[in-house]
Amino acid sequence: MTAEALSLIVFLPLLAACVIVAAPGLSALSVRLGLIPLPLLLLAPTLEVLDQGTYRMALAGHNSPLGIEWALDPLSLLMLWLNTGITILVSLHASYGFPPASEAGRRFWPLWLILFASMNALVLSADLFNLYVTLELVTLAAIGLITVEGKPLALRAGMRYLLLALLASLLYLLGVGLLYGQTGTLDLYLIAERIEISWLPVTALSLMIVGLLIKSAIFPLHAWLPAAHGNAPGPVSAILSAVVVKVSVYMIWRLWFWTAADWDLEAVALLLGLLGGAAILYGSLAALVQVRLKMIIAYSTVAQLGYLLLVFPLAGNLAFKAAVYQMLSHGLAKAAMFLAAANILHAIGTDRLRRLAGIDQRMPLDVFALALAGVSIMGLPPSGGFLAKWLFLEAAWEQQAWGWLVLVAFGGLLAAAYLFRVLAVVCLHPRRRLGQRSRRRSPTPASWAALLLAIGAILAGFFSAPVLDLITAGLPPGLGSR
Amino acid sequence: MMALLLDGLIVLALVSLAVQAISGRSLFRGIIHFVVFGLTMALAWARIGAPDLAMAEAAIGAGLTGALMMVAYRRLVAQGDNHSPRAPAQKSRLAIPIAVGSGLLVGVIGLGALLADNPPGEAGLIVLETLPEYGLGNAITGVLLLFRGLDTLLEIAVLLTALLAARALAGTGDSSATARTQHPETPLVGALLAVVIPLTILVAVHLLRAGTHETGGAFQAGAVLAAAGVLLVLSGRVSRTDTAGPLVRLGILAGLSAFILIGLMPLLYGEALLTLPGMWSIYLIETAMMVSIAAALILLFADAGGLKRDRRG
Repeated sequence: MTAEALSLIVFLPLLAACVIVAAPGLSALSVRLGLIPLPLLLLAPTLEVLDQGTYRMALAGHNSPLGIEWALDPLSLLMLWLNTGITILVSLHASYGFPPASEAGRRFWPLWLILFASMNALVLSADLFNLYVTLELVTLAAIGLITVEGKPLALRAGMRYLLLALLASLLYLLGVGLLYGQTGTLDLYLIAERIEISWLPVTALSLMIVGLLIKSAIFPLHAWLPAAHGNAPGPVSAILSAVVVKVSVYMIWRLWFWTAADWDLEAVALLLGLLGGAAILYGSLAALVQVRLKMIIAYSTVAQLGYLLLVFPLAGNLAFKAAVYQMLSHGLAKAAMFLAAANILHAIGTDRLRRLAGIDQRMPLDVFALALAGVSIMGLPPSGGFLAKWLFLEAAWEQQAWGWLVLVAFGGLLAAAYLFRVLAVVCLHPRRRLGQRSRRRSPTPASWAALLLAIGAILAGFFSAPVLDLITAGLPPGLGSR
Repeated sequence: MMALLLDGLIVLALVSLAVQAISGRSLFRGIIHFVVFGLTMALAWARIGAPDLAMAEAAIGAGLTGALMMVAYRRLVAQGDNHSPRAPAQKSRLAIPIAVGSGLLVGVIGLGALLADNPPGEAGLIVLETLPEYGLGNAITGVLLLFRGLDTLLEIAVLLTALLAARALAGTGDSSATARTQHPETPLVGALLAVVIPLTILVAVHLLRAGTHETGGAFQAGAVLAAAGVLLVLSGRVSRTDTAGPLVRLGILAGLSAFILIGLMPLLYGEALLTLPGMWSIYLIETAMMVSIAAALILLFADAGGLKRDRRG
């Protein structure tokens, strides 16, 4: 069952994309068929992982090193659920902005489905070159989606993203080539067994990580992100910030904790942690001075991504749990924020902060979603974000890493500052225009999609036990004991 | 000695062509240098015993990419009041650090390649051992379809995505400047096409068929077929439309959908995903991929959603 389910998880959305291109008349149906069965299909793999731990599958019957293998472990299962859950809820929103039967929808949905399928293929893959191909597909589909409305700002942002992403891919590919030359295999677990540590594999790993840092927009390689995420259509911004940048962080984790598990890289770990810290500070401060809501949210992504790198210097059981939980809860919260911002932009016609005074009365659902998601981003209890940051604090406390402790706490304060700046204008501004009717209302389901995601981010604080158990079951080798 | 001299010459030519391509003041010269660079690169591939790569490089890297660049150049000329577009006059301050960094990287990789001795159990060697079981003579086709089919399937999806992304942008710019030459009807064009097009198709089909046993395969064949399409577009025999007809849509999708459907089939009778059920499926997938590659490249070149025959007598 699991093999069939995993195959369909990747190929069903791809086939749906083909059908939309082939027969535009069937687009509404094929969008549904390509997305809605996915949570059901995920059940069999979920049971398999809960039961057996890890599931490996040799494509075309050829084991590595000859063929490509898929490996499903608790971490990749969580990524599959993150991608599926967020994509489906955001799709609900997108089906109003880009109706599948319309001209705009026929451009949007094939790329959307390809992006979804390629991220599923990415988190399943255990093969370094196959990861490269999936990452290329993710990037290309993402760029197509950023520019799908053809707005000049988005075009420029997409072009910049494309050029940097190509550079990143080449760096990654160089590293893959070097590792293959050393070990004769591309399987990321097999490489760990075969490699003899020397300067050459470390160079290869560094090249790959630098490439992936560009793709995940980690400070100071973040330059492309705010413009791209701030100017893309609403649902696209949501999926970009919630999942697309995360998959390359996921790849860094895989390389670091699995392939390079036994390498002694403390200095590099510290460097990565410092980059993360700089990202938190810089992203938050930049978010404080932005004048557009979507740009604030985009810089907030730069900051929140920084936390995901703290797992390297704090390496250990707690820090890894914290980082994975941060990835999940930030995904939910950030998707909710971008969707709410898209609804506001649609209704008001602008997302300039000073024009948003008093919209809480006109768009209560969206403002509520924004505020709830904000609670999780700031790390206030009870929310998924709180739990993640609490785990980080605990990890730092346990290792007596006071610098990181202060950083995590201060990062939460900064997040509170930039988000309360938004909420203060929206809810408390003296120029509240009472009783003014909005010109265009977003359809209610579009607001509900944002609200559901925000509620998910809050609920993540309550129902954390099964997820944390799953993360514990999937701890990288060597981290479980520490 | 001669061989070493030739290799040195190729390396020298590559470096100087690369410098010329990016540092020239005129964009047009840059494009020309890039195309020549691609051809020289193809020579280099051939020298190190990779004829498949050499053909792909010549057809795609030099041929079609060059053609795409020329179309883009013509658009720029059309927009820019007859001034020939120039590369930015001042050089970026980062140019030298980037060049030094890249040089160091090349050095490191070269050193790595020199140090590496073939590790035991290398995937490439296993491919050569396993290949005869499947009755295939060309290791590259074996890797592309039998052993690492998922990579190839996703590459075809990349091509489709590129086309979809480009189509999503269509209509945002001025697409009135078509890829056609201004004065296509010199008397020789028809006679030339009558010879060249059938020959090109013949070469494409030969490359496709040869792919199972010797140099060739869907990518090279698709690129050659695309060249025929580009000729037809340039000479005005085929003109662009905004939406694709059923035939063109089929062409775009044939590769990906055939690969996925055949790849899913083994699941029905309990075999692993993407296990190809015999030679017929290899031929079928290769043909479908060739058509899709050609269709996607022609559409990208023509900046068109679809194509139609132009009947002007």
